[in-house]
Amino acid sequence: MLTLENLSKHFGGVHAVDGVSLTIHEGEIFGLIGPNGSGKSTTVNLITGLYAPTTGTVTLDGYDLTAMAQHERTAMGVARTFQNIRLFGNLTVAQNLWVAQNGHEQRRAHFLPRWFKAGGEHSPDIDELLKFSRLHSKRDLPASALSFGEMRRLEMARALASNPRVLLLDEPAAGASLEDGQLLAERIRDVRDRGVTVLLIEHMMELVMGISDRIAVLNFGRKIAEGSPAEVQANSDVRAAYLGSKHKDEELIHA
Amino acid sequence: MDGYTISVLSNIGLFAFLAISAWILLIAGEISFGQQAYFAIGAYSGGIATAVWQWPFAAGVVIAVALGAAVGALVAWPTMRLSGLHYAIATLAFAELTRASLNVFTYRRDIEGFATGPDGANGFGDIRWVYEAGIEPGAYLAIIAGCLGAVIGLVALMSYGRGMARLRIVGEDPILAAMQGLSVTRTKIAAASLAGGIAALGGALYAHLATYIEPAQFSVMTGVHALAYGLIGGLGTVLGPILGVLIDIGLLESLRVFAGYRMIVFGGLVVLVLIVRPRGLLDEPTMRRVQAWLRR
Repeated sequence: MLTLENLSKHFGGVHAVDGVSLTIHEGEIFGLIGPNGSGKSTTVNLITGLYAPTTGTVTLDGYDLTAMAQHERTAMGVARTFQNIRLFGNLTVAQNLWVAQNGHEQRRAHFLPRWFKAGGEHSPDIDELLKFSRLHSKRDLPASALSFGEMRRLEMARALASNPRVLLLDEPAAGASLEDGQLLAERIRDVRDRGVTVLLIEHMMELVMGISDRIAVLNFGRKIAEGSPAEVQANSDVRAAYLGSKHKDEELIHA
Repeated sequence: MDGYTISVLSNIGLFAFLAISAWILLIAGEISFGQQAYFAIGAYSGGIATAVWQWPFAAGVVIAVALGAAVGALVAWPTMRLSGLHYAIATLAFAELTRASLNVFTYRRDIEGFATGPDGANGFGDIRWVYEAGIEPGAYLAIIAGCLGAVIGLVALMSYGRGMARLRIVGEDPILAAMQGLSVTRTKIAAASLAGGIAALGGALYAHLATYIEPAQFSVMTGVHALAYGLIGGLGTVLGPILGVLIDIGLLESLRVFAGYRMIVFGGLVVLVLIVRPRGLLDEPTMRRVQAWLRR
């Protein structure tokens, strides 16, 4: 469904992402892991269009997204959350969802935008999303007044409000405790059950290993492994990437 | 009203256009030091239309607004890639370019035995349409007020619809706005075009009141003031920049107490407001409280 083909992003001499190919199937939870600086976030930014790739393509359901601007990809069904939470702090919780729900619809309003329809944040869809993310009691508070955990939930609700085909979660557990992580796992499954394919970028191993159908591992911008959680855990290259290279240690000992 | 009051109120009205123009770009997240260029474009094009081409006043105003909006969009096309300081410098450079160009721009025709039209640094006089039509200062003040009312009405309409929400969202976080499916490019070009048109409207009205304009009137300081009005008055409502103009021209310039100290007091006020209320006196939280209070 979402296919990355030979995707690369070079910043000068730094090969942040280097020839990564991935296929994510409809309805799965796909984990993307790797040590710090391995190119996970850059990959997300390439999929959403924040960066233009040096080489390679991104396709969704056969449509080539590579040349599309960010807002066009949103209309195609790509949504994301951010590692460092991004919300419109001056807007209320409900308005944040309203913007996400209606922003991309303007493309389809052919001639006259729906100018005279302010106050549309009282729609059943938004009420449903507010309930889904347990933010119903906070709907009219400015987003900046929420707690950290509530902001994370609002971010995910907002991403869902644009009615995406695929949702990219960039470290949704960052700053969360282990118990929060378990709640988060349930939420991510709920999202998948709504018919949204999930690409999960995460550091918290328990979370990724617990809920992903398949996992890919990046290291220094290259894909070093792909498979089921068990296969990935058993892979020696992955162990080396996370625990340091065995050969290097031996070299040090012999030196 | 006596003549002095009318002239002060007219001045407040005219600067309000420039202040609203800079305010719209502030809302869209851009700091422009160059809105005086569109004021100048409006003044010159409106003046040329009525004084040199002998068009009716309304046609001169329309052409000024159209030209201001078109140039605004044209300048935004390359500069919207910039942000923050870089954008500010680009707008400053454009405004100075415009002023320097007007310094060498000569376009004169023989009108009733007099050479009429812009004459470079010597300025552009005899924009006499208002006086030839016998419009009293009080009546011209009403025209200014009517145009300003129309601009405020337009912004109110945009707040009622989606236009202002779009501008605010793009201004707050362009990356996130794009992720919501909004075209940041189109929004910024539209904002710059709107701001250009509004400033040009003010410029055209100014030229016909002053009857004489020269490039030096459209200096950087004019633009800095325009920007400061919005920052003092507040970014929460279109009345913010107008409040800023009222404070500066209505109080500081017009009250004799401050006589020679106007700029010092004004500068101090800008600094104070930016420290105490970074988004101005009528900022967004204030406006939310006002709206909640009105709804009760």
